[in-house]
Amino acid sequence: MGEGGLTEVFLNECTEIIGNLESDLVTLEEKNDDQDIINRIFRYFHTLKGSSGIAGFTVIYEFTHNLESLFDKVRSGEILVNRDIIDILLDSIDYIKDELFSDSGSPESDTIRKDLTDRINVFLGTTDKKEEEPEDFLKAVGAYKSVGSNERYFKIAAVFKEDIFNNGIDPLMVIEDLSGLGKIISLTVDKKRIPDFEKLDPEKCYMSWDIVMKTRFDEMKLRDVFLFVYDDNEIDIENVTEKYNVSKETPYIAEKKLGEILVEKGIINNNELEDLVRMQNDKNFRLGDIIVQKGLASPKQVDEALSEQDKIKKKIEISTVRVDSTKLDNLMNLLGEIVIGQASLHRVADDIEEEKAFRLKNSLYSLDRVTREFQEQIMSIRMVPIGPTFEQFKRFVRDAAHNMGKEIKLHIEGADTELDKTVIEKIGDPLKHMIRNAIDHGIERSDERRKSGKPAHGTINLKAYHQEGNVYIDVIDDGKGFDLEKVKRKAVSLGMIQPEEEITREKLVTIVFSPGFSTAEQASDLSGRGVGMDVVKTNIEELRGSVEVKTKEGEGTLIRIKLPLTLAIIEGMLVRIGRSVLIIPLLSVIETIQVSRENYKTVEGKGEVILVRGDYISLIRLNELFGIEANFTNPWEALIVIVESDGERIGIMIDDLIGQQQIVIKSLDNFITTSRSISGASILGDGRVALIIDIHGMVEEIKNR
Amino acid sequence: MYDNKRNIKDTADDTKGEEVNQYVTFLVGDETYGVSVMKVQSLNEMIEITHVPKARAFIKGVINLRGSVIPVIDMRRKFSLPPKEYDSFTVILIVEVNERLVGMIVDAVSDVVNIPLSDIQSQINYSARVDTSSIEGIGRIGESLVVLLDVETFLAGDSLTEG
Repeated sequence: MGEGGLTEVFLNECTEIIGNLESDLVTLEEKNDDQDIINRIFRYFHTLKGSSGIAGFTVIYEFTHNLESLFDKVRSGEILVNRDIIDILLDSIDYIKDELFSDSGSPESDTIRKDLTDRINVFLGTTDKKEEEPEDFLKAVGAYKSVGSNERYFKIAAVFKEDIFNNGIDPLMVIEDLSGLGKIISLTVDKKRIPDFEKLDPEKCYMSWDIVMKTRFDEMKLRDVFLFVYDDNEIDIENVTEKYNVSKETPYIAEKKLGEILVEKGIINNNELEDLVRMQNDKNFRLGDIIVQKGLASPKQVDEALSEQDKIKKKIEISTVRVDSTKLDNLMNLLGEIVIGQASLHRVADDIEEEKAFRLKNSLYSLDRVTREFQEQIMSIRMVPIGPTFEQFKRFVRDAAHNMGKEIKLHIEGADTELDKTVIEKIGDPLKHMIRNAIDHGIERSDERRKSGKPAHGTINLKAYHQEGNVYIDVIDDGKGFDLEKVKRKAVSLGMIQPEEEITREKLVTIVFSPGFSTAEQASDLSGRGVGMDVVKTNIEELRGSVEVKTKEGEGTLIRIKLPLTLAIIEGMLVRIGRSVLIIPLLSVIETIQVSRENYKTVEGKGEVILVRGDYISLIRLNELFGIEANFTNPWEALIVIVESDGERIGIMIDDLIGQQQIVIKSLDNFITTSRSISGASILGDGRVALIIDIHGMVEEIKNR
Repeated sequence: MYDNKRNIKDTADDTKGEEVNQYVTFLVGDETYGVSVMKVQSLNEMIEITHVPKARAFIKGVINLRGSVIPVIDMRRKFSLPPKEYDSFTVILIVEVNERLVGMIVDAVSDVVNIPLSDIQSQINYSARVDTSSIEGIGRIGESLVVLLDVETFLAGDSLTEG
């Protein structure tokens, strides 16, 4: 059982690392001397290796060891980053992915690995081979965590027995030995044990040492120095590399006090610190001031320590907890219950005697405020930045562009824009489709681009941002735009429109979202055969979003996805038809009107229409569509809710308006109904279930009737 | 209608002397049916059912079951029996099928009974027009017989997806 858990943790970790690696490697190809990225990649490889070793994936372990060695040479500047290297590394990642995540270990995997190993060895072999054994061994066993650099820092606290000289050992020699292994950064002598002169025994050792040193050797080597004294004396060797590379990733650090930091840096020692703290408590001084005053450390040292403390604090502020997302869902559901319960309390308030009702309502309103805030908090937990989703496309664009012989750069904006987790999970595929289309059909080859006076490399912009309670994602390419003539010809040949039909640009553009439509003369392996954009559209509509395309011939295309901030709670308008209560999402509602008899007409072929401010808009009798009985059958008696879908206005006939409230969406099992007009259900204050109307689906359903 | 040969599961006799299954029995029309007590989540009184447009023929609508929206099936419709006014005996039996809850509207709930395995006949030769796949067996309680429904096959899979 435990093993299964470990493997799972490992695989999860790998998914994350591989994703980061891919994106970083692609970035590295562009900025091939960015040390930060190089170090990060090295750490990824190292972690991958270490973890695979622990999880028992020996093959991966050995393989990543090679990768690490290869990348080590990149890091040290022995190998320059070029496309070949990146190719090898990316191919290797593909292999690892395959090995780890495909169920059936493919029979060729051994061959692939050998092949890759050979390619790696070519690089390793041609360069000077002088890797040192101990270091290599250490890396292999993952003996130390931080690999930001080859230098390690150790803090050694050596308290010798008083009679150490009797054994013929001189602490000075030991320290000298140590200094031979590296650079001693600080050495503090604790003289507190030295007794008064009368009592001093010159043959005894009263001093202890705190040493911080920088070395390329490992802890074992340091221990060797203390070989003869280790057992009898208090020798404490601690790897403190991470504390010295504190600006890099050190997730384990807990909040620290200034004194502790100074002690760690070896500027003051523990005993001094204790004294200082005592003084601080007595006199209510700031520790830093006391330290400087006492001349134990220079003001600069204290400042450095303080800034380090700040960094640590910051790290703690953004520290995270991993939570199973079902727990969040449960929390959300519970909140939904509360919202429903409140709605029912409001109903109770309506029924009771006025004075009490007033008081109850007042309390309820303040409770409402709290719940709303509570909801926002839970929502914010569910919100995840879109960055990682965007990042994964870097690799995709690179490979796809290479394959097509095009030069394309992916530019990312708004990576920290947050979306509901569910949306993030489902937006990846549609985005990929769109990017694929842009690479395939949008962006021209370099020669073509130069001819039309554009830069040789095309650019795809991925941009995410918030606006008016929605999240927008734009996919913009500076390619050739839609060839609307071609779109039209294609649409005619597919029988979607009539040849002589006058059709607006906007209409033509939306045709690309129709099922089975593709203008690519030759379907590439990238963007399939016309099963692209309609799938994109359906996927996004499932998330209650919409897609919009703007294109300018020769200049490029913009595809704008609009998504709701959350999927769980919406503002809804409650309407009544007969005995049924239905919910119309408030986002779609424009207005509610009454229509006069003269403004109602029946138009042949178009059904019923009403005149609203000079425009005729179609009228939908929801009761007929849903098979329920309505109180009013004449539109001039009923109320009309005007809604908008895809830029088109529609009137829905209802009996009465009940009100507006927050609606907790409960999904309906899809076997219950085939109707596209319903997006889900919600529970009303009185416990009844009301269906939520999917305006867009309803329009489609009516059109297809 | 059926052949009264005893054809009991082998496990019944040789493991424990007398293994007993518990069933909730209910009435639909004139017939008594039973479902394993393990499958029954709760018994609810009749509440207002929200009609769902274009729902499957036997789905009466959806109800609010402690905050979840679940479908309810009219067993009379399912068994092609004439509809009957809901009365104070009408009950919604909530059963768990493939990890989701489904309500069954039945005319009345009778009892929870223990039926020894030896009194359950699991292989029945019906006449051809009866679909036996969703019937777990026929149980005998004293003189009366109970049709034991296998809710998993009865409500899941094909029966839920076909029109």
